[in-house]
Amino acid sequence: MKRYIFFSFFLFHFSCFISRVAAQVGAPYIHDPSTIAECDGKYYTYGTGGGGLISEDGWSWHSGAERPGGGAAPDVLKIGDRYLFIYGATGGGLGGGHNGRILTMWNRSLDPKSPDFAFTTAVEVASSDGMEDCDAIDPCLLLDPTTGRLWTTYGTYFGAIRLIELDPKTGLRVAGNVEQDVAIDCEASDLIYRDGWYYLLGTHGTCCDGVNSTYNIVVGRSRKVTGPYLDNVGRDMLQGGGRMVINAGDRVCGPGHFGRTIIDDGVEVMSCHFEADFDRSGRSVLGIRPLLWRDGWPEAGERFKGGDFEIESMRRGYSLELAVDFVRIQQERERFWDMDMTKPLTSIPDQQLNDVIATWPQGEISVRCSDYMMRPHQHWTITPVPEAGGYLGGPYFKITITGTERALAATDKLELTAVPTFTGAPEQLWRIEQLTDGYFRLLPKAIPGRDGINTRYVLYSAADSTPTLVEWDFSTDNAKWRLRKY
Amino acid sequence: MKRNLVVRHKLFIFFLTFHSALFSYHVVAQNPIVRDQFTADPTARVFNGRIYLYPSHDIQVAEGARPNWFCMADYHVFSSDDLTSWQDHGVIVLQEDVPWGRPNGYSMWAPDCVEKGGKYYFYFPNGPKDGRGFAIGVATADLPDGPYKLEPEPIKGVAGIDPCVFIDDDGIAYLYWSGMGLRGAKLKENMKELEGESRVMEGLPEGFKEGPFAFKRNGHYYLTFPWVRKEGGTETLAYAMSDSPLGPWTFKGVIMTEHDNGCWTNHHSLVEYKGQWYLFYHHNDFSPRDDKRRSVCIDKIAFNADGTIQEVKPTLRGVGIIPATSRLEVDRYSVSSDGVTTALNDTINTFCGFHATLPQKGSWLTFGDVDFSSVTDGYVIIRVKADENTELAVREKNAKGKIIARFKVTVKSEVTRPGAPAPFRRDQSGQWLTLTLPLDYTPKGIADLVVTCEDKAVSIDWILFRNRQRYFTPVAKNAAPSQPDERGYIRRWRLLEPIKQDIRSNVIFTDSWLRKTFADELAKLSKQKGKWYTLESDHYNMKLFRFAEKYGSQLYGNLFWCETYIDCPEDIANVRLAVGSNGASMWWLNGEEVLLLEGDRRMVEDDGVSNRFTLKKGRNVLRGAVINGPGLSDMCVHFIDEKGKPVTNFQIQ
Repeated sequence: MKRYIFFSFFLFHFSCFISRVAAQVGAPYIHDPSTIAECDGKYYTYGTGGGGLISEDGWSWHSGAERPGGGAAPDVLKIGDRYLFIYGATGGGLGGGHNGRILTMWNRSLDPKSPDFAFTTAVEVASSDGMEDCDAIDPCLLLDPTTGRLWTTYGTYFGAIRLIELDPKTGLRVAGNVEQDVAIDCEASDLIYRDGWYYLLGTHGTCCDGVNSTYNIVVGRSRKVTGPYLDNVGRDMLQGGGRMVINAGDRVCGPGHFGRTIIDDGVEVMSCHFEADFDRSGRSVLGIRPLLWRDGWPEAGERFKGGDFEIESMRRGYSLELAVDFVRIQQERERFWDMDMTKPLTSIPDQQLNDVIATWPQGEISVRCSDYMMRPHQHWTITPVPEAGGYLGGPYFKITITGTERALAATDKLELTAVPTFTGAPEQLWRIEQLTDGYFRLLPKAIPGRDGINTRYVLYSAADSTPTLVEWDFSTDNAKWRLRKY
Repeated sequence: MKRNLVVRHKLFIFFLTFHSALFSYHVVAQNPIVRDQFTADPTARVFNGRIYLYPSHDIQVAEGARPNWFCMADYHVFSSDDLTSWQDHGVIVLQEDVPWGRPNGYSMWAPDCVEKGGKYYFYFPNGPKDGRGFAIGVATADLPDGPYKLEPEPIKGVAGIDPCVFIDDDGIAYLYWSGMGLRGAKLKENMKELEGESRVMEGLPEGFKEGPFAFKRNGHYYLTFPWVRKEGGTETLAYAMSDSPLGPWTFKGVIMTEHDNGCWTNHHSLVEYKGQWYLFYHHNDFSPRDDKRRSVCIDKIAFNADGTIQEVKPTLRGVGIIPATSRLEVDRYSVSSDGVTTALNDTINTFCGFHATLPQKGSWLTFGDVDFSSVTDGYVIIRVKADENTELAVREKNAKGKIIARFKVTVKSEVTRPGAPAPFRRDQSGQWLTLTLPLDYTPKGIADLVVTCEDKAVSIDWILFRNRQRYFTPVAKNAAPSQPDERGYIRRWRLLEPIKQDIRSNVIFTDSWLRKTFADELAKLSKQKGKWYTLESDHYNMKLFRFAEKYGSQLYGNLFWCETYIDCPEDIANVRLAVGSNGASMWWLNGEEVLLLEGDRRMVEDDGVSNRFTLKKGRNVLRGAVINGPGLSDMCVHFIDEKGKPVTNFQIQ
């Protein structure tokens, strides 16, 4: 199918504040968001039609980014101290034909208020003549970290996705470069590189049909940037192959236009738009999801919304708990060597908070890790705190003992404690991110006595039983946690 | 010297890179012929059947150089074998490398190059290190494009500019130059020293003269030169004739009158190439406000029976036959109706070229000598802009000639429905648009193209013809059977001309709707009057969209019936039919339904497969129906075995 009339997302009013953990908060209405770019501590993404979104913290997004030229599906990449923009100047059959043009331009800033904010004249780097099997829109940018060469794929369902090379110094097409077909049946393609593989991501399905849009993002990979890009069953993307990265789910549908952002070693997110957010009148919204890597394939992680969890260290599998007395559950013992087969089976209730809370101290209680025994002092409720802001991909959370307001907090000595009542203090707020291997890392928003927002110290197993705060290191299981619903 | 050369080459490569988005490597030229840099003072020579161009190389005034003056720091050489595609061979001599020259003189004015005894002698003026004025140096090479080895000293006894060397039939070489009038002298056998004294050329008219170019034709010696004929005027190109190489001369008149835009200089050469004489000259097309940045042009030149030269009117079109499949800069037209104007596309980056404006209905321009022999299954692309909706036609021969394509130029689109998205309602008046159309008519051989304005004013930048990609080939009635390809794909199909369907955009085809539609259409199939086509696809898939484009009445919203006959040498059991289709499709083997692909479908290899069946020995009939809304319809079909491997041991009739 081809692109259909869209652009209802192009709205300049703010929705009312949404307190539940939505896709992103604010007014994140966009179609074909560019890979998220950072400039002077703010995040930017640009969409079809012109303009784009800005976020101070990566979680709350609003309109205000500026891009001239209109057209479809831009991408932005920082090269040196400048940002290279690439976009399709046309509408992919919407304006009538398939005469597409891909243009590039530079800017020293993304902030429209900056004195450095000025676009260079846009220059054409690729085109389609309206008859050939290609429609030159929807470009992306990949600066190959192994060679320093700059690549672009572009195209839609009207024919093939094509690969060209640009000059990273000028943003112009490399002289003599001949375009090459690398996939069919895609639009809004993106190229990424990881660990010896080039990945071509494409959007399959139909866009712009609201809650009935079937858009989904698939991927193929190759050892060479020029392909062939094969999927997990060996099917070439030139034959329509592709492995699913993200499809509908969680009250949103129609993900399209992939972008990868590396936050830290082992911490990545993908950006996309969802054609329809079922909780926002079916509008097209920005989506940011953890990006997982499974056996060398990218997959979207789940949006972390909180809930009741056992927090299990990946060091040994011990569980984060309050350092309180272990309270035995009273039980009529049925030893395996003298069971009375005539007695009916009974169900033993879980230990309840009320059974044990009186044994806990009133003040601060320190935390430790130990064998998970399904006990109240090991059960944590993780709840978003919307008024506390967020980070790229999520809001800050409080982590409290289930059924209480007792909250996990960082101390000025880079240790942990559980304060009796959650007060909203920044050391009681937690940034929770799913890692590329599917586990999680947890960072306090702030550390008492230290300025600014903490982006370095994570919950860490100093020993099997001893949690602490240590600088992030993806290479050790000490820094990783499993959040298990109990 | 080497280091400098490398640096300069890098700059040159950068320059090429910068313009690669706009121009091809080999510049396809109308006038001016070099369209990515300035070129002036052209000397054209034919070496080994190829034409070589040695111009000077204007650049913007460098820091420290004389303001508002000529500025030249190096020489490039260009070559061509058709006078339209010019290859830039890059820098051959740099001012910093001239042993006797000022490294920052920026005075590398008009050069020349001749061949003698298999060696190439390059002559150029330059400011000497230790003196005023100009001297003339020599560099030698084994090939016309170098590398050139510079002589340590300039030619003794020569003070001036604009060297020209003429070698007579007896092998004696003469050097002409401009310095206190036009002068000439014999050159020694070594080509690097004067033989005796130089002398002023006699018999020439009063007035400023420079840039001598001497040649011989039919026993006549010619001396041609830029000449200011009127007090306070600008340069013409003029000539004189003689019976001997150093005169005395008889003045004959003007070859080209003064440039009508006031460009002060002109400088030239004449050359015979493939039986035709050409005049190379320069004009400041790419620098209209500064006549010291110039560009080389070519026009044909003719001689009368008595050896006199016919005056040349400069044209925009220039010379050479241009393939229709290269970019035709029709703003460089051969002739036009009154009122047609040309202007730069970008007054700052002037190398973005020109466009022509046809001011009203009936205006036209002709672009001559376009070779259509390369256009077989063509379409045409034009770059145009207009302020109002208008139309233009591309015709053959003249303003009333046969229409090749007629374009509607819609810059203010009617709102198709209320609330249509703003970006696609936008006013495109005054913006450059690239429009594409299939050809109504394809000229044969070499033709003159005419662009006619059919409504309101319109501007045109270029025209380009291309051939469609081939997707399939019609199969003759008695053709041999086809084989599945190496992946088992069936490429030979009988296709019924597309049947129009009323399908809304972006439909997810439902099973029940498809079943009813396919059943209804199947019932009607035997009564369908449409024509069947037997085609062999060039690809593993059959591009039904392109089939509809060629044989149908509409591109989108079609149902396609496909049939093929599978001849098996024996029963093949446990076979599945594997199909990808855009969009939904249904498939029957020997009349039995075997597969339905529903929903929002695109053509993906092995998207859906049938249950197992047996392909029977002998003929099996495979029939499919593919239905599609707004997409690029196609399908790929093969049989696979139990393990998913393609089945290939059959023939396709």
